[in-house]
Amino acid sequence: MKSFSPVGRTLGTVAAVSLAITLSACGNSSPSSGGSSSQQSSGSSSGSASASASVPTGTGNSTLPSGQPGKGKPPIVMGDKNFSEEYLLGELYSQALRAKGFTVTLKGNIGSSTTINAALQGGKIDMYPEYAGVIYTELAGNSDKPRSAAKTLKGATAYENKHGSAVLNPTPFQDADGLASTKAYAQKKGLKTIDDLKKVGSFTYAGPPENATRYQGVVGLKKAYGLTKLQFKPVPIGSQYQALDQGKVDTIAIFTTDAQLASGKYAVLTDTKGIFGFQQVVPVVKKSVLAKEGPAFQQTLNAVSKLLTTDAVVAMNKAVQIDQQDPGEVAKKFLQANHVL
Amino acid sequence: MTPASVLASVSGADGPNIPSFGQSSSCVRNNGTFCWDWFTQNWSSRVDFQARLIEHIELTVIAVAIGFAIAFVLAVLAHRARWMVAPVTFVASLLYTIPSLAAFQILVTITGINDLTVEIALVSYTLLILFTNTLAGLSAVSPDVVDAARGNGLTDRQILLGVELPLAVPTIIAGLRVAVVTIISLATVAAFIVPEGLGKPIFDALNAGDFNTKFIASGVLCILLALLADAMFVGLQRVLTPWASARRAR
Repeated sequence: MKSFSPVGRTLGTVAAVSLAITLSACGNSSPSSGGSSSQQSSGSSSGSASASASVPTGTGNSTLPSGQPGKGKPPIVMGDKNFSEEYLLGELYSQALRAKGFTVTLKGNIGSSTTINAALQGGKIDMYPEYAGVIYTELAGNSDKPRSAAKTLKGATAYENKHGSAVLNPTPFQDADGLASTKAYAQKKGLKTIDDLKKVGSFTYAGPPENATRYQGVVGLKKAYGLTKLQFKPVPIGSQYQALDQGKVDTIAIFTTDAQLASGKYAVLTDTKGIFGFQQVVPVVKKSVLAKEGPAFQQTLNAVSKLLTTDAVVAMNKAVQIDQQDPGEVAKKFLQANHVL
Repeated sequence: MTPASVLASVSGADGPNIPSFGQSSSCVRNNGTFCWDWFTQNWSSRVDFQARLIEHIELTVIAVAIGFAIAFVLAVLAHRARWMVAPVTFVASLLYTIPSLAAFQILVTITGINDLTVEIALVSYTLLILFTNTLAGLSAVSPDVVDAARGNGLTDRQILLGVELPLAVPTIIAGLRVAVVTIISLATVAAFIVPEGLGKPIFDALNAGDFNTKFIASGVLCILLALLADAMFVGLQRVLTPWASARRAR
């Protein structure tokens, strides 16, 4: 994920090749307009089945500090990447830190993973939220496919440590590739995991054309799960949900925090073999900054991360991407509801 | 947190509270073609189209003004020293053909992520058209007219200021009209570097939900701005070349 396919999806409309190159490793999570026709309104966690089984939670102290321990600490600059979910993450972490008295400047929309990583290592920013699998594969350049979330985090941590930064506790949610069907189809066929698709026999699977050759798509589904009776239907980028709603296909490729999942109409099947990779979010912070800001800084960030479950992030993505609300306001409401602000 | 939002949230045993984030109009939720309600809410706050429009005007005015100053000086010089024409045209064409996104991205490594980077790129796109048109305007003045002026005892400087430049005004302004409309359009790409101007809502929409209203509002504002700028130059030309209007009236 967060490689070329999501970019293509976002930028298909602008036919700008150079853009695609420069944005390359950027973002996903922009379900395009072709989404489902009946988006429901409830901001509640109406049942996007969590795609991830159990994920590591990290070992840092995640108790929200009381009072304003950040008062008088040196100011820091936080960055975030160039897509909607990152804007939310930047707002969530920076607002929480400010509530604890820290002085934080948020520089939003800095760019792709490689761009923002250069900004971090060049000292232009002090921290930013990143996806563990992106660090593992795109920044550290590992070519293997880590088979567990723990191994992904370990590799990500090793890379950042080597470059003067620390990786804090990961979020419970991850924004990885995934596979979903309608809830009705999953119930009828008794599907909980991708493995269960084997008993279905022949079924259709829709996704952007490049899925045909990706391990996080058709290749992995056939190789790792043995789903040889899968029929791939390439659909225009971003219109998978539409194809599913119209009953044209049985299953679709998704991102696990797609705003459409908030409707509760879809079932995300668990990836028991880990073909989709592990994409928990971790705040990446310069070690020197952590030392200067004191333990309350780290604790505040960990406390926020702990709140970010798949359901919570899908609900917030929906508020931003479908209801077109301001990421700052959505983050504020969420933090207030959880007594961080 | 209000009690209501606690009740509204559905959460697991130790999961977070997910509050209601409120609901937008059905036009917004279904990504209608153009949602007036959303646009009016975002005219002077949040997306703040008003502020983005002003930034866009600033980006454009600075780029065209600096570009015109440079191109004008070069054209006047090249008018006298013809050998300059080829190299200046070559460099200006080269700058003009660099894809704008690539230009922005390359410049960032030299001048950083700031307005200077954006303006350097935008200025470089005005040079070719402004230089070419200014020079063409000056060159198109009939040699007979220049000879007549010289015969009346005017110096080169007087000929330039009193004869050649006034006669070149329509061609120069034609160049400015093309340049300003081009820059208004190109300045949307500037938002790739700095979050300013009408390009910002376009890039934001690309990154978050492809919201049609954002694209259309930004695009239409750009078009209106371009039409207005063009009309202003037409008016300026009328004022600067009263003899042309007089001729038309006759």
